[in-house]
Amino acid sequence: MPTKPRYRNRIELLQGTLDLIILQTLQWGPRHGYGISQAIRAGSSDVLHADTGSLYPALHRLERSRWIAAEWKTSENQQRVKVYRLTAAGKKQLLSERSRWEQIVAAIGGILSHGQS
Amino acid sequence: MANRNERLKAEIESHLQMAIRDRLERGESRAEAEANARREMGNEGLIQEVTRDMWSWNWLSSVVSDGRYALRQLQKNFGFSTIAVLTLALGIGVTTAIFSVVYGVLLRPLAYRDSNRIMAIFEVSSKGRTTRLADPNFDDFRDQNRSFESIAKYSAYTVSVSGASQPTRSVVASVSPDFLKVFGVEPAIGRDFTAADAKKGAGPTALVSYGYWTEYLGSPRDLSQSHLRIDQTVYSVIGVLPPAFHFPANVDLWLPADLTGENLHRTSHNYSAAGRLRDGVTVEQANRDISVIARRIHDASNEQGDYLLKDGTVIPLQDSLTGKVRTPLLILLGAVGFLLMVACANVANLLLAQASVRGRELAVRSALGAARGRLIRQFLTEAFLLSLLGGGLGVIGAFWGVRGIVAMAPGNLPRMESVSVNLPVLAFALLLSTAVAAGLGAFTAIRATSGDLREGLGEGGRGQAGSLGSQRVGRIIVTAQIAITLVLVVGAGLFGRSLMKVLEVDPGFRVDKIVAMDIALPWTRDPAARAGQAVFFSNLIERLKQIPGVRSVGATSGLPLDGGHPDGSFIMMAPNEVPKSMDDLRKLGQQKERLGIADFCAATPDYFRVLGMRLIRGRFFNEHDGANSPHVAVITESLARERWPNQDPLGRTIEFGNMDGDIRLLTIVGIVGDTREYGLDLAPTPTVYVNLFQRPLPHISVAMLSDTDTASVTAAARGILRDLDPEIPSNFRTFAELYSASLGSRRFNAILIGSFGITALVLATIGVFGVMAYSVSRRTREIGVRVALGAATGDVLKLILGQGLRTIFIGVTIGIAGSLALTRTIASLLFGVTGTDPLTFAGVTLLLVGSALLACYIPARRATKVDPLVALRYE
Repeated sequence: MPTKPRYRNRIELLQGTLDLIILQTLQWGPRHGYGISQAIRAGSSDVLHADTGSLYPALHRLERSRWIAAEWKTSENQQRVKVYRLTAAGKKQLLSERSRWEQIVAAIGGILSHGQS
Repeated sequence: MANRNERLKAEIESHLQMAIRDRLERGESRAEAEANARREMGNEGLIQEVTRDMWSWNWLSSVVSDGRYALRQLQKNFGFSTIAVLTLALGIGVTTAIFSVVYGVLLRPLAYRDSNRIMAIFEVSSKGRTTRLADPNFDDFRDQNRSFESIAKYSAYTVSVSGASQPTRSVVASVSPDFLKVFGVEPAIGRDFTAADAKKGAGPTALVSYGYWTEYLGSPRDLSQSHLRIDQTVYSVIGVLPPAFHFPANVDLWLPADLTGENLHRTSHNYSAAGRLRDGVTVEQANRDISVIARRIHDASNEQGDYLLKDGTVIPLQDSLTGKVRTPLLILLGAVGFLLMVACANVANLLLAQASVRGRELAVRSALGAARGRLIRQFLTEAFLLSLLGGGLGVIGAFWGVRGIVAMAPGNLPRMESVSVNLPVLAFALLLSTAVAAGLGAFTAIRATSGDLREGLGEGGRGQAGSLGSQRVGRIIVTAQIAITLVLVVGAGLFGRSLMKVLEVDPGFRVDKIVAMDIALPWTRDPAARAGQAVFFSNLIERLKQIPGVRSVGATSGLPLDGGHPDGSFIMMAPNEVPKSMDDLRKLGQQKERLGIADFCAATPDYFRVLGMRLIRGRFFNEHDGANSPHVAVITESLARERWPNQDPLGRTIEFGNMDGDIRLLTIVGIVGDTREYGLDLAPTPTVYVNLFQRPLPHISVAMLSDTDTASVTAAARGILRDLDPEIPSNFRTFAELYSASLGSRRFNAILIGSFGITALVLATIGVFGVMAYSVSRRTREIGVRVALGAATGDVLKLILGQGLRTIFIGVTIGIAGSLALTRTIASLLFGVTGTDPLTFAGVTLLLVGSALLACYIPARRATKVDPLVALRYE
């Protein structure tokens, strides 16, 4: 089955990083699901796209883990939307995931630079 | 919660709408914007579905989907599932069947109100054995205890009953008036006994069983016309007991005890006793209470000796009824538990093989994001499905199995009527299936999902290295299986050898060609009436001798292997020393050095010839030993050896009048070989035989030695008896039946445990075969390489057999150690062999190693046929 190369410069999200990205996105205030996906896109200069099929399961999983909380609000377009915000536990989780990510980046960076020299 | 689904739908919808709005704002046309937004978002339904998976309350629907998936798996591997389900059905079914016997006999409460408050009360003899009660001792227990709200004595025996629609031989129980109160039972019709009914000289009254009332009395509501004659006394029927009441077992009539007065001796143990505890009194308290009274009686009694009680004890009635069969039944349950383990081991191995075949599937699922917990749950679901299917089939099988076991059960197994597949048994089966499922499921799940599953993606295609771990576990399971099977088969072997040893025992009498007729004449103390009975017996025997084909006829007060004889102390007397009264006799009984203990049995002259008993010295009784000539006795070899060591007992005189009330001296005229009266596996008891024609007893069995068939002898004998007295009912048995019945519990144990052992052996052999075959199929490539590199057929054979032998050797070693430890528990049930019988151990080990080796050899042969070209082409 041939797939159309629509986004040439698009990169697959690394496994396990979606949670970190969502938490990070919510750090600047509550957002709804569409807003989060747009923010990821904008924040990564259109390189990373959160697939809806991954985003919503992730949101509901994070909600169940009580790292984010949700409530229904009415948008400026008079539409009912579900808005997620970061909880205190979520902030802690974000910190720990961040430091883990930084470790990974440093480790992989180390390996790569070592390989080059 | 449809709400939640709708909200999820709304959330996704709002996402879509916002995406469309953004695109519209960027200038796309409406149709374009909608199409693009939808394409970007993907399948809405799928998004909703995967999101729903994140909800914790969703577990139920995922269990259903697990179940559906598991069912599909089982269908896909139909052969595997069938074998697994059938193996589990066998294990669970047989275990359930045995449990229903254990439950019905040992655990199910007796069918009386608050039956755990009903106690059996015993005297304890000087040798520490529990015995029945003597009348005065019972009276003291009844009057002095503070533990029982009601207490009663009872004694069951067989009599001839007439006056109903036809004369019957029925079991009656003499009971004291509170008997029914102890059991919390009231007559369904009529009234209970009162104290007045039991007074000496009261008008004789009787209670009848519901069955007797319907079958022989015609079910009258009005009992005033119902009278029965027993021992020449007419009893008025005053009540009918409820249909469910059968205590003591098989009793049809209950009569007040002591209508002719009590037996005043504290050493005549004639009655069993039961009592209902007062509220708040514990068994221990009652025990202490009765014990204190008993010891007080002992200290105050002037009848000191072996037959006087030393202590008293109280045991829950249920335990006292089932105490003897407890150990054998628990051993059966243990044995069947072993069988179940062997069956489960086979299924575990099947599942393990399945799991490694499915390694690739697991790897894919895991790579697609299935959590380990989810995979474990999948395995558990599959195991549950298998076990419940197996358990369901097993329970259906248990219904038949229980019927078979009940039909096969020996006569001495009590409470068989309460054995059935009932609710508690079903609950047990369900619990068992669940336990099996949990065990199997957890085991395979943990095995299959441990380590990095994704490795399976890489090597799963070739299916080699990753399965080494599961092969090792498979071999451990087979090792355990061999060990357990060995224990079980050793047990079966020991029971089988015991049975054979018992069959080799010479009972001391012939067991073929003898038909026995039991009859009961009225009990009487009148010497003239008793002499009349002797004449009746003599006439009867003369007539029976005329039956064509009957060679010889003899009568006795008790047949061998039929419950034994009364025993008592006899006194050695000088020939001229004649006691004048029973009191004289009792005084002589105080001189311990003159006492001997023996069974007391009456027999006619030809009885010894009919049974083919050995005459060692002296003579049997003969026609000259008439009613008025000196009374004679024949003693058994063991009594002669025990009481007259290095002396000649012939011509000596003894006094044994305490047994039948006749104080005339007995002169010993003969010594006969010992007979095993109590059981083939029990040592012969020293016995004194008296001449039935000189000292008639009313209840006798007539043994007829005949060359013709039983049916015609029985018919002719019945006709002769009816001719002599139509009011006397009779009962017929052959010696072959007596012999066979006496082996009943041994045969029962040997057959059941033997069949468990054989089944376990077959299962274990299949287990070994399965693991070896699987291992060979997994090592095909390796073997191919070896062959390609020049390994000969013998080398391959050695390689595979060597691996199998190691497993077998370890299993057998553990099994032998386990058997040595466990056979101790069955030592009391063995006969003629010890729990460590080397012959049994060697034989069983050989058998097991032989069949296991055979199971290894077939896959090993297959391994030698591996074509290296074909094997390597897989690369």
